[in-house]
Amino acid sequence: MTGAKEAHTEPKRDITLRVHRFNPQVDGKPYFDDYTIQVEKGITVLRALNYIKEHVDASVSFRAFCQAGICGSCGMRINGISKLACTTQVWDELDRCKEPGVIRIEPLRNMPLIKDLIVDMDPLVDKMKHYSNWVVSSMPESRMGKKEFLVSEEEFQKYDKATDCILCASCVSECTILRAHKEYVSPAILLKSYRMNVDSRDSIHDARLGELVKDHGVWDCTHCYRCQETCVKHIPIMDAIHGIREDALEVRGVKDSSGAKHAEAFMSDIEKKGKLVEATLPIRTNGMAWTLQNLLPMAMKMIMKRRTPPPPPLVKPAKGIKKFREMFREMTEHVRAEKKSHKK
Amino acid sequence: MKPFDIVIVGGGGAGLYAAMEAMKTNPALNIAVLSKVYPNRSHTSAAQGGANAALANKAKDDTVELHIFDTIKGSDYLADQDAVDILCSEAPKIIRELDNIGTPWSRLEDNTIAQRPFGGAGRPRCCYCADKTGHTILQTLYEQCLKKGVFFFNEYFALQLSLHDSRMKGLIAMNMKTGKIEAFPARTVLFATGGYAKMYWNRSSNAAGNTGDGQAIAYRAGIPLKDMEFVQFHPTGLRKSGLLVTEGARGEGGYLINALGERFMSRYAPEKMELGPRDLVSRSIETEILQGRGFDSPAGKYVHLDLTHLGADLIKSRLPQIREMSMYFEGVDPIDEPIPVRPTAHYSMGGIDTDNYGRTVMDGVYAAGECACVSVHGANRLGGNSLLDILVFGRIAGHTAAEEAGKFEPSPITADEIAATEARLRSYMQPSGHFERYGILREELGQTLGQNVGIYREASKIRKGVADLRELQERFTHVRVNDTSDVFNTNLMQVLELKNMLDLAETVAAGALAREESRGSHTRTDFPQRDDEKWHKHTIATIEGDRVKLGEKPVTMGRYELQERTY
Ligand SMILES: Cc1cc2nc3c(=O)[nH]c(=O)nc-3n(C[C@H](O)[C@H](O)[C@H](O)COP(=O)(O)OP(=O)(O)OC[C@H]3O[C@@H](n4cnc5c(N)ncnc54)[C@H](O)[C@@H]3O)c2cc1C
Ligand code: SF4
Ligand code: SF4
Ligand code: FES
Repeated sequence: MTGAKEAHTEPKRDITLRVHRFNPQVDGKPYFDDYTIQVEKGITVLRALNYIKEHVDASVSFRAFCQAGICGSCGMRINGISKLACTTQVWDELDRCKEPGVIRIEPLRNMPLIKDLIVDMDPLVDKMKHYSNWVVSSMPESRMGKKEFLVSEEEFQKYDKATDCILCASCVSECTILRAHKEYVSPAILLKSYRMNVDSRDSIHDARLGELVKDHGVWDCTHCYRCQETCVKHIPIMDAIHGIREDALEVRGVKDSSGAKHAEAFMSDIEKKGKLVEATLPIRTNGMAWTLQNLLPMAMKMIMKRRTPPPPPLVKPAKGIKKFREMFREMTEHVRAEKKSHKK
Repeated sequence: MKPFDIVIVGGGGAGLYAAMEAMKTNPALNIAVLSKVYPNRSHTSAAQGGANAALANKAKDDTVELHIFDTIKGSDYLADQDAVDILCSEAPKIIRELDNIGTPWSRLEDNTIAQRPFGGAGRPRCCYCADKTGHTILQTLYEQCLKKGVFFFNEYFALQLSLHDSRMKGLIAMNMKTGKIEAFPARTVLFATGGYAKMYWNRSSNAAGNTGDGQAIAYRAGIPLKDMEFVQFHPTGLRKSGLLVTEGARGEGGYLINALGERFMSRYAPEKMELGPRDLVSRSIETEILQGRGFDSPAGKYVHLDLTHLGADLIKSRLPQIREMSMYFEGVDPIDEPIPVRPTAHYSMGGIDTDNYGRTVMDGVYAAGECACVSVHGANRLGGNSLLDILVFGRIAGHTAAEEAGKFEPSPITADEIAATEARLRSYMQPSGHFERYGILREELGQTLGQNVGIYREASKIRKGVADLRELQERFTHVRVNDTSDVFNTNLMQVLELKNMLDLAETVAAGALAREESRGSHTRTDFPQRDDEKWHKHTIATIEGDRVKLGEKPVTMGRYELQERTY
């Protein structure tokens, strides 16, 4: 039968998975094991790992459940990038190997390691609790079940993408700030917090926001965009982060007295960045008060339009500093020019 | 450990709703939820389509009564009509309640919850959130449970009920993070462990962990299971993984093609072709494969779902998910190549026999969700009724357990019992006498079930299946757990799951052999007709020694008389 022949000629080749191993009961520190297996085209990294577990070494430990990219269990670093093993094709990874034919498999970063490729998810759940990542309904429990809320499709669109999140923690693993500060809120939690805060059925917007602008909150984010680039569900996480900032500054800032606090937080944010980019920033030249008063609204507008160039990630300072500096210079000039024309 | 008032096993939709409702019923109760995965990872998240409720948002003339009728007809008249009454009457309330606590829903123009048509329903009553309804419902329930401070034991694997002369004392479970066996003395235990369709292994759309653990634990404790032979197959699963290619692909005009290049549906449904009902299309594909007109591959025989003639534009705009799935899981871009598919085990209608309040025959033991069989689905579940089932009966069971917990006195679980359990698990790690590979047994289990107790069944094949299962059970006694570590021993967990599947597979095969008729998802080629006289009843499977003993139970009728099921 022609069909049978066709199927059997599916290309096959030998590949090596270089797997991170660590058993806390016996290993002082992690090491790598190489497993070379033959795979056919169309096999996912998860299926390759399953094959190894079933046929080569049953002790290789990793999480997996749905095998369909929906449960979020199988986040791991494949060739250095955090992603889902069950939606990643082995053949695609072969093009990304540093050493030809060798795919590196490591656990997610920024979370405590338990074993091999398994990390502890509890810190993330604790953050969900800390930032009240749930809707506190404006409807009393006794009235529930009788009537639905009326919600426009437009409002639904505001949180539609954010609710795609499967808590796989890939973004958490890639976040630059979390590398240095484990207490940092985390991109996925910012995303969830945002989703709750734009839901008209919720009643604790202000309290949640109050938590988000505290230490380790939304202002610590460096806008490096790593989380968004990583997200396995292609969620525009930065929209959420900008949304929270915008909310904190523009809406709350004018309306209530906590505005000062937000400004303070933003100041420290800028200060942090200022530190990052050394003494070359306009803050230095213009003084903090001037910067805040004049550049802030502009910066917020740019942020809203998402034209903000990402500030320097901690890892690659040189390029980022340049961009950041340019942005501030551009803004300074723009504001100065505007002021002049106003005076006229 | 201080005894719990309620131990809920399972953090899917059913378990979480039960927990929420139990806390609401009596906030003073000490409630634990155990789950072998973080609750938000449960298989409820895979449900894309939606949940049925006669809200009448879309079709103003929809009523609860119509929903009831559709469900009973869909069940091929095997559902208990009083249970269906509860399911459908509670539906609008539960969907509104979900909305009230913050579940995202797609919306209609008048800002009410959106509804769409779904197979077997006379009106568009399936409430949805884009193509992620189960996911958003599960997220919301998990968030609300965190808010309420539900006590979660995540990544705990339930092993067995602790009994004293068939009186339930609590649950024994393994903490995956430490490998320790822990006792959960409890007044009540509520199983919400999901379905068992994964026993068909690579021929199943289910998550790796849908291994029927709760049903197997209950069964071994002497609790009866009901209608286990009813397993629903979906026509188009991906060849390698069994994952679903949704009906949308055929809806947009995809062709099913055999190895001879024929659009073979012309033989089975010349008018509707690929758009025939699910069970008919499943059977047609299976026939092509059985008669040697399928493609062959190391991953098994299959046919093609060809979309190439639809063109890149249409595929990209209308079927992006399906394209993504084919690329992710088969490495095939449907724009250029046909998708390899075959029928896949999708849903288990059978489960732990409960009354309409979630009670089992054992005092203090309850069940809800896909792991229970009330029964509202009878011989065939309608799309969108399963999410509804887990919510409605999850809540009812949670409420019942909370009300009744006070009736049962807790008693301690002894250290001896824990030690004995530990020793039993450790024994799999001993080299002498243990040489069988679990991966191979598991694959063979899926294979024999698929071939002998799959879509087409007949006495001789099922007998072969029964014999194979006996042999697999025997080989299982020699299975080896190679990972000897305590921490996160997924090797051990998968071996225990395999045992659960093996035990349940025997009940599925026994039911399939006994039921000499064709009804709903159960098709006997040697008994092609529905036989109401002999078989309008539930089968009940209990354990005797280590064998299945079959009994029966009448179907509760109501307003609707038996009719032929035609669409
Ligand atoms: C691909 C797919 C699509 C579907 N689409 C729809 C749809 O559109 N509409 C619809 O109505 N239905 C749909 N269904 C069916 C529906 O999703 C399920 O029937 C339902 O979600 C089951 O929910 P549950 O709460 O009973 O179990 P699950 O969500 O499966 O949860 C089971 C829980 O039990 C826990 N557990 C299991 N064993 C153990 C153990 N030994 N120890 C501790 N914990 C354990 C698990 O960790 C998990 O938390 C679909 C199913 C599939 C597979
Ligand atoms: S943009 Fe912010 S949250 Fe995202 S990775 Fe960078 S620092 Fe982390
Ligand atoms: S935001 Fe994206 S990457 Fe981060 S946890 Fe959610 S789905 Fe994963
Ligand atoms: S196994 Fe569920 S996302 Fe990969």
